[in-house]
Amino acid sequence: MSRDEPLLSLNDESLALLMELAQVLELGVLTTDRDLVVRHCNQWLAAAAGPEVPDLVGRPLLEAFPQLSGGPAEHALRGALAGSTTIWAHRFHRYFLPLRPAADADSRFHTMQQNARIIPLTRGGRIDGVLVLIQDVTERAAREDLLRDALARAEVASQAKSDFLASMSHELRTPLGAIIGFMDLLESEMVGPVQPLQKQYLGRVKLAAKHLIHIIEEILTFSRVEAGKEPIQPEMVDGAALARSVTELFEPQAVSKQIALNTSLPEGPAMLFTDPTKLRQILINVVGNAMKFTESGSVDVEVSADHERVWFRVVDTGPGMSPTDVERIFDPFTQLDQSLTRSKGGTGLGLPVSRKLAQLLGGDLEVESVVGEGTTFALGLPIVAQPAAVLPPAPSPAPVAD
Amino acid sequence: MSTHLVDHDALTELFNIGLHRAAASLSELTGQRIIVELPRLWVCPIEDTQERLRELLEGELATVHQIFMGNMTGDAVLVLEYESASRLAALLTRGDVAMDGRLDQSAREVLTEVGNVILSSCLSAFGDMLRVSVTFAVPRIHVESLDGLLRSLKVKDDEMHYTLLAATRFQLTEGEVGGYLMIAVGLTSLELITKALAAREG
Repeated sequence: MSRDEPLLSLNDESLALLMELAQVLELGVLTTDRDLVVRHCNQWLAAAAGPEVPDLVGRPLLEAFPQLSGGPAEHALRGALAGSTTIWAHRFHRYFLPLRPAADADSRFHTMQQNARIIPLTRGGRIDGVLVLIQDVTERAAREDLLRDALARAEVASQAKSDFLASMSHELRTPLGAIIGFMDLLESEMVGPVQPLQKQYLGRVKLAAKHLIHIIEEILTFSRVEAGKEPIQPEMVDGAALARSVTELFEPQAVSKQIALNTSLPEGPAMLFTDPTKLRQILINVVGNAMKFTESGSVDVEVSADHERVWFRVVDTGPGMSPTDVERIFDPFTQLDQSLTRSKGGTGLGLPVSRKLAQLLGGDLEVESVVGEGTTFALGLPIVAQPAAVLPPAPSPAPVAD
Repeated sequence: MSTHLVDHDALTELFNIGLHRAAASLSELTGQRIIVELPRLWVCPIEDTQERLRELLEGELATVHQIFMGNMTGDAVLVLEYESASRLAALLTRGDVAMDGRLDQSAREVLTEVGNVILSSCLSAFGDMLRVSVTFAVPRIHVESLDGLLRSLKVKDDEMHYTLLAATRFQLTEGEVGGYLMIAVGLTSLELITKALAAREG
């Protein structure tokens, strides 16, 4: 009838077979009658019950294990007598019967950790008793606890790294602000005349300092987003107008590189409720990236909207990327061709930061690319802000006792 | 039999009773407040369900099947997209399992128990309210495609098959997850449900 037998039907032969099998399986098997008196119990389960619970067969199960009375275990047993099958997963219950762990089990558990199934048994079409199957998962539970501890430690280390980056970046940014300020002061000749060549050198120093500040800002944003400390300040924004203003920033660069910089915007506004500063930052990063890597042809910035999202697409005719490179493009500190880092500059954080910001705004940034043809970045943001639901950090390790 | 004969409002109420019981059990089990909602319900021949599910679901699915027998016979299934399943397991265990988005052994065990709670609560509500006797098989979890799911639905082979398909939403403190509850029954069982609902209303 099905890939699962609906109910375990019991006759003397099938019961004998089950108990025979149970002797060789690493599994606890116990059956009761309608009064929950133990009818059969395999060797494995009797040994795990230990000398504290002798002679299980023939005794009422709730008398042999009085801890079960009135609790969910008794509820499950009585449910089986009414036709219900109950599954107990270790993650929720720890154990069904208070059994001793195997001699070589991890010492953090005083009781065997178990999965259990409590199943009605039928004989001649009517429910005749209950079958309890118990699986020992102590070893796995201990392994998972260790993994969770390791994960928690790794998260603490990652947090420490983010904190370090944030504070380092802050410490670096503060003196750079002063450097640029004094450059402005010197340039303005308020403290004395500056020769043309000196002015030219001052300009170069200032440009380098501003570039450094930009890199530090990227690191700061990245570490804030990683640490979940980047606040969102949403408001009604016209996505089309914002995309136009960002594109205008790159027009001088397009002219000097002799690249066509086109926009394709809807006739009316493309309104969405989002954080305009972050949206602007993403678009500057993505358009800037396209401009940086496109040596001929065009960069097109397109805005469109459907009933749920506003879409920003940046299409370039740059060198394109292989599928392997596309997979790595959003990995932090990755610039696909390291030689480009020197020729094109950048931290390799622009795109990872952009994607993280997009996700923070409830959307995503995706990329499609063909080597030799170009790359398309698509940013989709919800019309109404839906900050990405972030799972809580892993809880501190649970107490080891059960 | 026309599915229009089924009283949708009464059926929705039955599902709501079942899901309310399930939510209470899950809240007790996990120690957090859980609400299970029923945004939408369809009753349709099993062939139409395939088309409908193709519109609603994509990719790999995690399903918990529970066969039931008695006056009413069929296959009840909790259907979640893989990602939703791992997210639900993580939310229910406060990130204890499936944190990496994978349905490992522990996550599957958790979902099997959760499926067992939801499916038996709903089927018991049907049993209690319609005064029909239902007994349940051991639930099984599968990771499968939609085609695999539809092939595996088990009802009596010699009659027309129908599906009661309910969209469900699990609301937890840290987020919410959508899924579907599907009860595949044969014509005889659907007629029994229809009559019992009508008698109850009357």
